[in-house]
Amino acid sequence: MPEQALSHVNILDLTHHISGSYATKLLANLGAQVIKVERPGLGDPSRALGPFVGDDPHPEKSLPFLYLNTGKRGVTINLTNELGRSLLQPLVLWADIVVVNFSPETSLNLGVDYDSLKVINPDAIVVSITNFGLDGPYRNYKAWDLVEYAFGGLMYIFGTHDREPVAHALYQAQYRAGTVAAGAAQIALYGKKVTNSGDTENQSEGRLVDISIMEVIASSLRDTVSQYTYQGIVRRRGPLFGMGMGRTMATSDGYIIPVLGLGPDWEAFADFLDIPELKEEKFVTQENRIRNAQELDQILSARFQQFTKMQLFHDAHAWRFHFGVVLTPREVAENEQLAFRGYFVDIDHPVAGTLTYPGASAIFSETPWRIGSPAPTLGQHNKEIFCEMLGYSTSDLVKLRQMGAI
Amino acid sequence: MSLPLLGVRVIEMGQLLAVPYLCKLLADMGAEIIRFESCTRLDPHRNSVFYGNAPGPTFWNRGANFYDQNRNKLGITIDLSDAEGRDLFRSLIAVSDVFCENFTPRVMHNFLMEYEDLAKIRPDIIMLSSTGYGYHGPWANYGAVGPTVEASSGLMHISSYQEAPPVLAEIPYTDFVGAEHGLVAVMAALHYRAKTGIGQFIDLSQQASQAALVPEVIMDYLANGRDAASGGSNDHPSMAPHGVFPCRAESDPAKEGEIDRWIAIAVQTDKEWDALIQVMNEPQWSRDPRFHNGLARWHNRGELNHLIGEWTIHQDAIPLMQRLQDAGVAAGVPLTNRDLLWDRHLRGREFFRLIEHPKSSGIPPLPYPGLPWKLSDSSPLPSRAAATLGEHNTYVFAEMLGYSENHIKDLESQGVIGWNPVDARVPKPVERSTLLEQRRIATYDEDFEARIADELRSFH
Repeated sequence: MPEQALSHVNILDLTHHISGSYATKLLANLGAQVIKVERPGLGDPSRALGPFVGDDPHPEKSLPFLYLNTGKRGVTINLTNELGRSLLQPLVLWADIVVVNFSPETSLNLGVDYDSLKVINPDAIVVSITNFGLDGPYRNYKAWDLVEYAFGGLMYIFGTHDREPVAHALYQAQYRAGTVAAGAAQIALYGKKVTNSGDTENQSEGRLVDISIMEVIASSLRDTVSQYTYQGIVRRRGPLFGMGMGRTMATSDGYIIPVLGLGPDWEAFADFLDIPELKEEKFVTQENRIRNAQELDQILSARFQQFTKMQLFHDAHAWRFHFGVVLTPREVAENEQLAFRGYFVDIDHPVAGTLTYPGASAIFSETPWRIGSPAPTLGQHNKEIFCEMLGYSTSDLVKLRQMGAI
Repeated sequence: MSLPLLGVRVIEMGQLLAVPYLCKLLADMGAEIIRFESCTRLDPHRNSVFYGNAPGPTFWNRGANFYDQNRNKLGITIDLSDAEGRDLFRSLIAVSDVFCENFTPRVMHNFLMEYEDLAKIRPDIIMLSSTGYGYHGPWANYGAVGPTVEASSGLMHISSYQEAPPVLAEIPYTDFVGAEHGLVAVMAALHYRAKTGIGQFIDLSQQASQAALVPEVIMDYLANGRDAASGGSNDHPSMAPHGVFPCRAESDPAKEGEIDRWIAIAVQTDKEWDALIQVMNEPQWSRDPRFHNGLARWHNRGELNHLIGEWTIHQDAIPLMQRLQDAGVAAGVPLTNRDLLWDRHLRGREFFRLIEHPKSSGIPPLPYPGLPWKLSDSSPLPSRAAATLGEHNTYVFAEMLGYSENHIKDLESQGVIGWNPVDARVPKPVERSTLLEQRRIATYDEDFEARIADELRSFH
């Protein structure tokens, strides 16, 4: 089997829920050795998140947990217990990268803040994901994805002008933070192992990577902030009309997004739709199209509803227009392009059974992406890690459980 | 310690965002990015949001998007449709580590610039191709932009108001998702090459990247046969209250614009519910059996949201947010771009980066959003403005390829390289007052320049 890109990298995963777990999952898929630490008993809260396989709310059947934790070995450690915290130490030493996503206050209480980890392993890269970062006036503020979108500046400009602003559904802010963390962690590691490897002046090679979910959103607003610094404009979500092009429009069975693209022009578009009226003065320039927006929308809408969305989508692309098509999750699962890429992967889990998982964002020519082992059951690798790797005896393991450490 | 990616050389051939943003992240970390542009096909980002809404005679060096995405990069212009231009490109590949592009595969094939071709010139090259749907397959040559990819991922279907068509994010959201996944992939390839000396081709699909962020609904279909309904993305599968509520608007007496104010609140536990009720001065209805526990609150969330909104509409948003956060409730005000610039937390975090623009652009020093991470013990981050068109032609061709001054002059006279756009049509920007009339913006500040200059006086 060909080697994977990060098979030489050891990662201690102290995360829970989505952002941290997605970061370490991305690295596990690329070959990193990941040991995930969960609290004994309840485990990672995403075991309670759902949806569940067969709507059975069993801690081993939570689809997000199963997805987020493939390729990882799992242990349980009680970090509120001194004996538990001492178990962590050799794992921190083993790790190249430690990933945490507790709040600053909780990290401190559990002894997994950067200063504490640095004492154990001064060479470790510590990646912290928090709602607002490790410092600053908001650092102890609470947030969920809805609130992150608000603070990050994406919500105010999202939606229609006559209604409340919206956020994307579910957990985008957390997944984004996880993605950024997986990239930043590797950058820090590259700096240590490759770029600065000859640097003897600095005593330790470790670093802290501090990721704020608010900043993940605020750094990806494109020109939203610049519209103020360049023109004094306070940007807002706009009216739906007059944006027929580049907005969702209904077909006979769903939605498409009509986009011209960079090649063919408006005249060609009129020909494609076979609507000569579109070539009239009032529609020919971008400015005129905005001015006569409502009329344009009506004409396009009437035409689009004569076709199915897939028909229009493929026909448009045959003419080199960059149309989009709104797919439901079922249609994504059945999508021919994703299937071609081998995107969906089946693996078998001892409790949840055989399930199909969405897969790789990228296909590598030398070092394959692999989903790896199924998500660990709670404490599945306690024996393997504590006994085989760290040298505790089987009876010690029993005592550790009895003492509430694991 | 030097910046982590010092010594890594990247060639960037990217339009819009997907690749330029990825390379912006690399550039901020010390990588040397050589950004390709064309004088005959101007990057659309050079053609929008001009300083003071005035394009000016050299509008291509006055665009916000351009400065925002391309700081710390070297800029060259090569005409790739010219065979000699493609030779130039190949010479640069020979001395580079990474090549990132987001053209359609058909274009790369026609230019003989696919991975197999480039690996012959530089065997350990790492090449990232970022496309909407992938480098191969039935949709391989389908052009895409952020919103269309978002549509194909499942995310757009589930993001909308109740009983309404899907809404688009006002930014090319999926471009960022693709770029961030691209960063993960490029860094993994760099690590592997550092260990083994072996490069590779990375085929990044933005659709695949975005679909990976909505596994709940995709797997719910695969495991349970349930296709998620559209609608109500401010809602939550189990939390209530969880939504966005109206607050007192801030009017702008100078114009007819006003800043509408809202508050996003997400309550998960009984403790948080009690705290919320306390802040609301324990209204009578909070003791109603319809809201007596989490499950009841969820089932009656429509009514609950309505009642909360009737109270919040009389509150000022930001003070309310502070009171709620102090009480332990997750609450946030949807911040405007102007709010972000003055935000005391982002100021404390030193989030914004001050960039000085070339004198010829006529743009004063301005703050730009920084990186989505903070690296400890870092050398100061570079803050060079994006290159003017062709700014580094001479430097790159002379320094990296050893071309003589005469050779470079020849290339210019042949139109292979250049410093000015060819056939550039001066864009006609829309008046701010028109945008305000059409309700496309909330308001604008006439004195924005003075306000920013003031703000920058207290900058780090």
